[in-house]
Amino acid sequence: MDEDKELIEQTLKGEREAFEMIIRKYQQPLLNYIGRMVGERQLALDFTQEVFIKTYSSLHSYKPQYKFRAWLFKIASNFIIDYWRKKKIDAFSIDQYQGRDYDRPSLQIPDYEPSLVRKLEISQLRERIERALEKIPAYLRELFVWRHINEFSYEEIAEIKGLPVGTIKNRVFQAKELIRHVLEGKE
Amino acid sequence: MTCLRIDQIYLYLEKEFSPSENKKIEEHLASCLKCKNALEERRILLQASESLTLWETPPDFIRQVMAQIFPEKVTAKSWFITMAVGFSSIILMFLAFFLLSGQNLAHLLINLSFSLLDLVRNISILFVKLFKLATLLVKIIVQFSRFLIEGFARLTTILSPEIQILLITLTLILSASLLYGMRRKFMTGEKA
Repeated sequence: MDEDKELIEQTLKGEREAFEMIIRKYQQPLLNYIGRMVGERQLALDFTQEVFIKTYSSLHSYKPQYKFRAWLFKIASNFIIDYWRKKKIDAFSIDQYQGRDYDRPSLQIPDYEPSLVRKLEISQLRERIERALEKIPAYLRELFVWRHINEFSYEEIAEIKGLPVGTIKNRVFQAKELIRHVLEGKE
Repeated sequence: MTCLRIDQIYLYLEKEFSPSENKKIEEHLASCLKCKNALEERRILLQASESLTLWETPPDFIRQVMAQIFPEKVTAKSWFITMAVGFSSIILMFLAFFLLSGQNLAHLLINLSFSLLDLVRNISILFVKLFKLATLLVKIIVQFSRFLIEGFARLTTILSPEIQILLITLTLILSASLLYGMRRKFMTGEKA
């Protein structure tokens, strides 16, 4: 992370190559996050580009006490929220928790649990997870992507969302169980 | 230890527990088939989730973003280079054409220089005529000004000072009202 701060300092001094290195480092994680949120490759590429432009123009307001990666993904998350608000695409707001029955999956292991995941090949399972991801609410999908695709720590996700670590852990758990339910055809 | 909760299973798989907590969980798993099956189910799910196909950016993505952030400015130097390259290309194409077609280049160059001389001669004639016209215009303006000044001098000898003041005042009022009228007309035009 110190490397990021150094690159930002160099960028602010006018070294273009430093910002190019930031893009090189974060282009794929950002595209994978935005892609899973909007579901369309070209739109995801356009948004990733916009997020980098927005990040560059806001660099002067970056505070080094925060992790750059968390700051960058917060910009991306806000960008997607703004887009959805303007387009009124998704009823499930990414930043507002909307309670539903499946938001509180059972914590107890049931006596009988059908096993779908063990019957599938790993490649088939990946395909099904991708499709299931599209069906779960955006505010849960976002956390799942950060945790299991971008491989962020729970603490980092909590920093991005400004929520307690416990809440984040609970919501990521909800996302995973919801995906399992979708795979089993319960949702 | 009682059976594990599902959220505990996930946290165990993600290595979020301390070594002592892990030990307790492992002891329970060794003796509980239900928890073991539930854990295996979620282990597979997590493995698949963490190995989803990653989206790749196109090879020129960085260049595109950089071009948006830092648009290239055309400098005087680059303009000069472009012009020089363009001019040299035309000359080279011209020479290549004559070399390949076998036409007489010297003959064409002589004709070209004659045409250029004609052009220079015609432009010179045009400038001389324009100069004469300008001189004539200046003479007319000088004559007209002299006539006006002489006329005004004669008027001052004929008219009494009071009438002169009256005439000047009337002229000023007339000019002011004309200016005011014109201003209103233009302003109305702007609004429309």
